[in-house]
Amino acid sequence: MLEISQLQARVEEKTILKGLSLSIKPGEVHAIMGPNGAGKSTLGYVLSGRDGYEVESGSATFNGKDLLDLEPEERAREGLFLAFQYPTEIPGVSNLEFMKAAVDAKRKANDMADLSSADFLKLAKAACAQVNLPLAFLKRGVNEGFSGGEKKRNEIMQMLLLEPALCILDESDSGLDIDALKVVADGVNSQRDGERSFIVITHYQRLLDYIKPDYVHVLSDGKIIKSGDANLAHDLEAEGYAWIESYTDDAQQSAVGSTTDGAA
Amino acid sequence: MNPWLESALARAGQGIPADCLAPLRQASLAKLENTPWPTRKTEAWKYTSLKVLEKLQLANQISPATSGAAQNSGLAFDRIAITWQGGKRVTDLSGLTLPAGLSIKTVAELSEQESQWVSDTFSSVKPAQHLFGLLNDVLAQDVLVIDVEAGVEIAQPVHIDHQAIAGVEGHCRVLVRVADNAKLTVLETYQSQPSQDAAAQSFNTNVVEYQLGVSAKLEHYRIDLQTGTALSVGGCHVALAEKAALNSTLVGLGSELARTDFDIIHRGEFADAKLNAIYLLKDQECYDLHATVEHAVPNGTTLENVRGIAADQAKATFNGRIHIHRDAQKTLAELNNRNLLLSDKAQINTKPELEIYADDVRCAHGATVAELDKQALYYLTSRGVSRNDALVMLNFGFINALVDDMPNQDIAQWLRPILRDRFKEMAKS
Repeated sequence: MLEISQLQARVEEKTILKGLSLSIKPGEVHAIMGPNGAGKSTLGYVLSGRDGYEVESGSATFNGKDLLDLEPEERAREGLFLAFQYPTEIPGVSNLEFMKAAVDAKRKANDMADLSSADFLKLAKAACAQVNLPLAFLKRGVNEGFSGGEKKRNEIMQMLLLEPALCILDESDSGLDIDALKVVADGVNSQRDGERSFIVITHYQRLLDYIKPDYVHVLSDGKIIKSGDANLAHDLEAEGYAWIESYTDDAQQSAVGSTTDGAA
Repeated sequence: MNPWLESALARAGQGIPADCLAPLRQASLAKLENTPWPTRKTEAWKYTSLKVLEKLQLANQISPATSGAAQNSGLAFDRIAITWQGGKRVTDLSGLTLPAGLSIKTVAELSEQESQWVSDTFSSVKPAQHLFGLLNDVLAQDVLVIDVEAGVEIAQPVHIDHQAIAGVEGHCRVLVRVADNAKLTVLETYQSQPSQDAAAQSFNTNVVEYQLGVSAKLEHYRIDLQTGTALSVGGCHVALAEKAALNSTLVGLGSELARTDFDIIHRGEFADAKLNAIYLLKDQECYDLHATVEHAVPNGTTLENVRGIAADQAKATFNGRIHIHRDAQKTLAELNNRNLLLSDKAQINTKPELEIYADDVRCAHGATVAELDKQALYYLTSRGVSRNDALVMLNFGFINALVDDMPNQDIAQWLRPILRDRFKEMAKS
């Protein structure tokens, strides 16, 4: 589904991703962990096509298409979804209007007719209910005045409506209390259907107790330096990232190897 | 003196009708002769050039060749509509069905008693030295008087529907009185007819004066949809008596020359003025709004919210002056102007001016000019919304609060698709 090979990308003059490779198959959940500044969020932005994130070399193909050649909206219509770490507040644009336009755009790209307002409202209400977001939030400006937790739940609500093929969750757990964390995790788990894939970017192992990953990768200084199964997350939690970084030199080789193995 | 002004003054000298307004109009003509033509060095015209007007030669009335069928303004709700084309009223007043307490008359039709208040009020609401106000005083052919009797609330909006005609110069003038405890809604729309000849200009000065009595209420909309080569310099002036309330929404698209002077005068205490204004420009359009609020007496409130967006090489100018006189204690005045620049060649000149001579007042003002929020654009497109649709959404979002704030939902509903079309055009470039 997603093949990232030797991806090198920079923001302004600074190279952040330094040869990252990752292969994700349908239905898989990959967790990406790593210390601050490792390039976790950058990976999400590069994959979703944010302005200012410039790819220097390497490739990323998504369902056979050159992902890096597509505009952000085209990537979204292909089925890529990034749940933002810091969702943007957009006063004056209602959540409902925004999501109707997004869903219609995706349907149009798939040669489907627009949903009627009534049909869409039904779906939106159900999505809100699933993530415990009061219906009034549909009428409010996108993320306008939402608390941190409400913003994260709003991201998952959008994900439920857009039914993407690949979801990238960028620290969707940060700033959440345990109840909100469960809501987010339940939303994600409800979408695991053996086809839909996830990249779960997180700083802490906590989220992975609720969203069980198939693979865990450690990202450090723009590269995946170690890959393993869910147990790797526990080791990291126990030992800290310093533990893994001391292995960096050896790990680089094995990380690429194990990723490829995992995909094979 | 430039050729246009010379010709205008010559026409004015011959054309003033012998009615109750004649002395006032003669006085304005005398004043005009001593009013200098604005140049770039004139502060009030610093950003708006009148060069295009100086050599303008247009027909002074609609002819069978220039008049079109009255354009359908697209408004479908119940209202009392009076249509002008190129400054000339084309609606026959005798055909209007008016509710009790509302009268709409020409100056010639006024009773002696009515002539009294009309001649007391005409030209007294607008500032005395306003050049184009004076020009309108002397050039308006057919002054219309709209009057609501004391205590009467008129439910139907009165629609002043002005259509500019390519090749024609016109001067429309309306005087509105809302007497004590009365209530009225007025919708002014200014549209330009599409012409066969895209370069054909039109020019209009549209001036409306509103006199509000004690505790009178005016809900007011001035929607200026003229674009392209429709030149216009207009004024809208409101005087508030004690406890009178004005709730006004102003929308302007730009054109080659588009200038509106909006004046609000608090003449009685405890009056309340609210002005929401929106301007949306593209291409090389210009739009210049000068809004002035005079707090001459204590205990008045003014709330002004002005938002503008300029795309391409458009140029917007907003001058918002609130003048709090020495006696105007306990005034509460706020002015907020927010602007969005969609291109680095677009220009917005904003100048909020608070001039305060009283010491016990609460006033605030602020003006910002921002660029489009790229992060918001990315957020919307990252969900699959096209860049153009996202731009339309963001631009609409920037002014949406002011449209939602319009008390008349019929008018808001009519306006929304017009604005959406405008945003689509702005997003294209």
